[in-house]
Amino acid sequence: MPVTRREFLKLSAAAAATTAFGGLGLGCAAKKKAAGPLPVPADRIQALKPEWSKQTTSVCCYCSVGCGLIVNTSLATGRAINSEGDPDHPINQGALCAKGSAIWQMAENDKRPKTVLWRAPYSDKFEPKPWDWALKRIARLVKDARDKGFETKNAKGELVNRVNTLASVGSAALDNEECWAYQAMLRSLGLVYIEHQARI
Amino acid sequence: MNGKSFFVDLSRCTACRGCQVSCKQWKKLPAEKTVNTGSHQNPADLSFVTLKVVRFQERVDKGKVRWFFMPDQCRHCVEAPCKMASGVEGSILHDEKTGAVVYTDLTAQEDFEIIRGACPYDIPRQDPVTKRISKCDMCNDRVTAGMLPACVKTCPTGAMNFGDRDAMLAMAQNRLAEVKKKWPKAQLVNPDDVRVIFLAVEDPAFYAKNLLAQAPETRRFASRRDLLVQLLRPVKSMTSV
Amino acid sequence: MTNHWIDFQNSDCILIMGSNAAENHPICWKWVTKAQEKGALVIHVDPRFTRTSAKSDMHFMLRSGSDIAVLGGLINYIVNNDLIFKDYVLNYTNASFLVTDKFAFQDGLFAGYDGQKRSYDKAAWAFELDANGVPKKDPSLKDPRCVYQLLKKHYSRYDLKKVAEISGMPKEDLVKFYKAYAATGKPDKAGTILYAMGWTQHTVGVQNIRAMSMIQLLLGNIGVAGGGVNALRGESNVQGSTDQGLLFHILPGYLPTPASSLPSLAVYNEKNTPVSKDPKSANWWQNRPKYMASFLKSMWENAELEQAYSWMPKLDPGGSGAYSWLALFDKMSKGQFKGFFAWGMNPACSGANANKTRQAMANLDWMVNVNVFENETGWFWQGPGMDPKTIKTEVFFLPCAVSLEKEGSISNSGRWMQWRYPGPKPYAETRPDGDIIALLFKEIQALYKKEKGALPEPILTATWNKTNKHGEFDAHATAKLVNGTFLKDVKIGDKVYKKGEQVPSFASLQADGSTTSGNWIYCGSYTDKNKAALRDLKQTPEQAAIGLFPNWSWAWPVNRRIIYNRASCDPTGKPWNPAKAVVAWNAAEKKWVGDVPDGGWAPEEKYPFIMTKEGFGQIYGPGLNDGPFPEYYEPLECPVASHPFSRQLHNPTAIAFEGEDKAVCDPRYPFVCSTYRVTEHWQTGVLTRWLPWLIEAEPQMFCELSPELAKLRGIGNGDKVIVSSLRGQLWAVAIVTPRLKPFKVQGQTLHQVGIPWHYGWIHPKDGGDAANLLSPSVGDPNTGIPETKAFMVNVRKA
Repeated sequence: MPVTRREFLKLSAAAAATTAFGGLGLGCAAKKKAAGPLPVPADRIQALKPEWSKQTTSVCCYCSVGCGLIVNTSLATGRAINSEGDPDHPINQGALCAKGSAIWQMAENDKRPKTVLWRAPYSDKFEPKPWDWALKRIARLVKDARDKGFETKNAKGELVNRVNTLASVGSAALDNEECWAYQAMLRSLGLVYIEHQARI
Repeated sequence: MNGKSFFVDLSRCTACRGCQVSCKQWKKLPAEKTVNTGSHQNPADLSFVTLKVVRFQERVDKGKVRWFFMPDQCRHCVEAPCKMASGVEGSILHDEKTGAVVYTDLTAQEDFEIIRGACPYDIPRQDPVTKRISKCDMCNDRVTAGMLPACVKTCPTGAMNFGDRDAMLAMAQNRLAEVKKKWPKAQLVNPDDVRVIFLAVEDPAFYAKNLLAQAPETRRFASRRDLLVQLLRPVKSMTSV
Repeated sequence: MTNHWIDFQNSDCILIMGSNAAENHPICWKWVTKAQEKGALVIHVDPRFTRTSAKSDMHFMLRSGSDIAVLGGLINYIVNNDLIFKDYVLNYTNASFLVTDKFAFQDGLFAGYDGQKRSYDKAAWAFELDANGVPKKDPSLKDPRCVYQLLKKHYSRYDLKKVAEISGMPKEDLVKFYKAYAATGKPDKAGTILYAMGWTQHTVGVQNIRAMSMIQLLLGNIGVAGGGVNALRGESNVQGSTDQGLLFHILPGYLPTPASSLPSLAVYNEKNTPVSKDPKSANWWQNRPKYMASFLKSMWENAELEQAYSWMPKLDPGGSGAYSWLALFDKMSKGQFKGFFAWGMNPACSGANANKTRQAMANLDWMVNVNVFENETGWFWQGPGMDPKTIKTEVFFLPCAVSLEKEGSISNSGRWMQWRYPGPKPYAETRPDGDIIALLFKEIQALYKKEKGALPEPILTATWNKTNKHGEFDAHATAKLVNGTFLKDVKIGDKVYKKGEQVPSFASLQADGSTTSGNWIYCGSYTDKNKAALRDLKQTPEQAAIGLFPNWSWAWPVNRRIIYNRASCDPTGKPWNPAKAVVAWNAAEKKWVGDVPDGGWAPEEKYPFIMTKEGFGQIYGPGLNDGPFPEYYEPLECPVASHPFSRQLHNPTAIAFEGEDKAVCDPRYPFVCSTYRVTEHWQTGVLTRWLPWLIEAEPQMFCELSPELAKLRGIGNGDKVIVSSLRGQLWAVAIVTPRLKPFKVQGQTLHQVGIPWHYGWIHPKDGGDAANLLSPSVGDPNTGIPETKAFMVNVRKA
């Protein structure tokens, strides 16, 4: 059965589209997209082009090799549509392991909690809360605990200016700038119990 | 123009499974519900939504442990037995430019048992709902756009390679000569018959039962032997190894 | 890492010990493969046969926890067979230094031990000084009090018979391993070590690494291409988060946290600034006051330095035993803390003795948990054995953006600081961590402004509040603060730097408060441009020969890609191995070419190990808490009652907590257990268990065990088993595999099993629970890192 090149491409593009959106019970964002008009062309190659998506570089968040990534984000939805290794990156040269290859699914994952959650003392459930409420409430708790637990001097009478009733763990999952800012906040508050992943 | 081919250098595969996941990432294929069966290999086999699976096989040789890894996928046979066995026009396509063997929606009308039975490597799988048959399509969209297949692009060690068939065959021969210095039993698996040419450092059976083309009588659908005798080439070469 | 990932390609012998590099750092195998295909030997020493072993040229099995026996044996082999790189050892290490006669070692204890305090007085380990205060040396290396002779004597006890007997590694394997690695002690050969948590997670963790560092110095493998001591860190920014001081004992840039005994900055500087009387020692830490002053100014720009110092929270004595992770959760279990932040962490699974940790959280008044997905920490009150009705803890879960959605830099194991750009916008109502920090700090500041309270000044006058015009966290502004700025016009040499200008490098930082720098080692990263974002593959031919890529991103310090690189040359500045030169002295132009050298002085002007007080690599290390030489001790839980090196069974200074029993030769828990990772998951699994493609590949908790043990316990492959310890139990799927095998130790057959620590009860529901339910809260006396690589368990069919 001879098939011309043109016919072939047409047919195989249809095959590709079916594989992607063929009612396979995709757990993530694509499922929702399939319900309405497709925000990206079914042709994945087209979707990578600047008319359809912006391309940015990132670095993998898992191990410490520091592999470069190229991420395509749909202009229509603002969501990532593809992520793969950065071929220019001198360490990974485009390669990624199983985790690095799966990183798209971390961003586009409907199991991500969408809002702040709050659990009242003795409650058996979390409830959604607005950010503003939560941050104000946490600030209040921090201040109350700090004011009550603050030590100007230790038992020997030495100047210590610290709070021994608050503790923090984290995080190697933050960027350098966030880590620095976090330690600045914690140390301004007087925390000494500051630990993170490097210790375990 | 001899089309495209993969060269899979198993001496370099670490079973990082970047290829297995990259395939799903590019095609946005869903995950299967799996359990641990006493092996690190998972999914346990290929399926309609798992077009590439890394097979793990352990053995002990003279008291020494060996662990063999093999990223399994459609071999894109030079003369595809599945296409020859096809009974539906337009269901199984062979891209004359790349050599990719591509399944379309029309595979839903095929007799799945025949298509799967025709494959010397037991690759095709069927969607129980739509009845479509699926397998690796050589990332034909990417390749046509000048990109590498997702599994090749992601491979860290040079186990997965892709390019013009002549270049891949040359690469395979060069690597074979090199690898033989360390592994004298190294061999290329069915290089003349397939577009996914594996270099095994030992007997291909140490990796997976279907790394080497299986003769019809040992295949899953042995009863269909009569129907399949005309699908000769990979089988012939198997008997010559 | 002293070196970097690409540099593995330059090695002649890659030793992987205490690491499963192919599985846990899969992309590094690209560079291991490159080296291997150029003829390098890859050796894996590990209690298991893993994907790393499968790709190595040699694989040797040792019982988990016996590394110092095996490495001590290697030192003995190198010294006895005179395989050291003599010119390197003489010129660049402290092998020739004399130690005072106060130093002694007897039956497993060094001089200065106080049994009551379970600690050493390190004054007993000092060097003998000449009239000028410089250590005395014996270049013949024959003086019995010189480091080399002390080393020789100490490790003469580590003979093949004893090492084999306790490690379970057969004599012929030991010799094969020793011979292969010792061959790198030639000027034109480089050997490297890749290690990870397989070495750190022991009560002798630091000494495991010390032992190997000593071997690297004896063989001349530090500072050279393809050499070094390379920690493969477990998280994408655990290098950066450590650099930025998110630990009790260090401020950003490895400045010690102020102690309560140091009442002023002047006293702090005096106590923490080493003084060398040797004019050839660069003694780089003599600059510490500049870095501390610049840090304090970055915190509180408008405060006087002494004022700023007084605001810094201060530690009482006790170190890791009082403040580190294990101590923190011990104190939490005793009710010390009212509030707790678990930010981007899941301690309910990640810390040793997870049951203790989980129960401790119920003593908190409140907890803030910032994460991407549901996790066992934020949801602890719903966990197994918990009754929410009895748990008072108020819990906030703040959903954060993922890395693909964020902008900022992270530092990899090779110290490369790399910039990320945001792709998608933060999902739903999630926010970048930086925004959350900024917004929370503003709320706290607002409360203090309105109500005052305990010492409000450090909160109200904090310099950091870097948000952009939209009120969102500004990664660029923060990166600039971390780099540092001139606070007034400063003349350095002939150049005047204007107020407000970025400081070009840490050499320009000042001790008088005229510069800020949030972290001196990052000074130079964000000047007129954001160097972390550089993407230029250009290299000089010298740089290209070893793959330094100096114009791709930026590496601390000062973009140096291989540290201690002046040791890669002979004392005249000529590379030991010209084919793989890292730096070389161009005498005509009076400058170094290649990598950024460890200081631009002419070769004969300064010693190369600039971060040590004396300027020499430390074969003898008098600074650690458990001895100047690594000594063999059993893990705190172990299957033997004695070992052949001394009567001191365990590290006498290890961290442990009262009332917590240990299984030592306990017939109820006869098997050694290690925890570890697989390629497809990461850490406690919060960022991988929720990804369908990854949970598909490794769906459930497993326990790997040998066919011999499986037979003994009637366990079939794929059976469900119960693994238990003194602290808890969990179920796992048995993977019965010849990749594990029993060890012959002291004539007995000992079994070892292994479990991954990626699972947790919250998801998937049939995935199992955390490996750390079983591990003990005991730790290394220097770092406090728990001993999760060797503890005792039982395994039975479920």
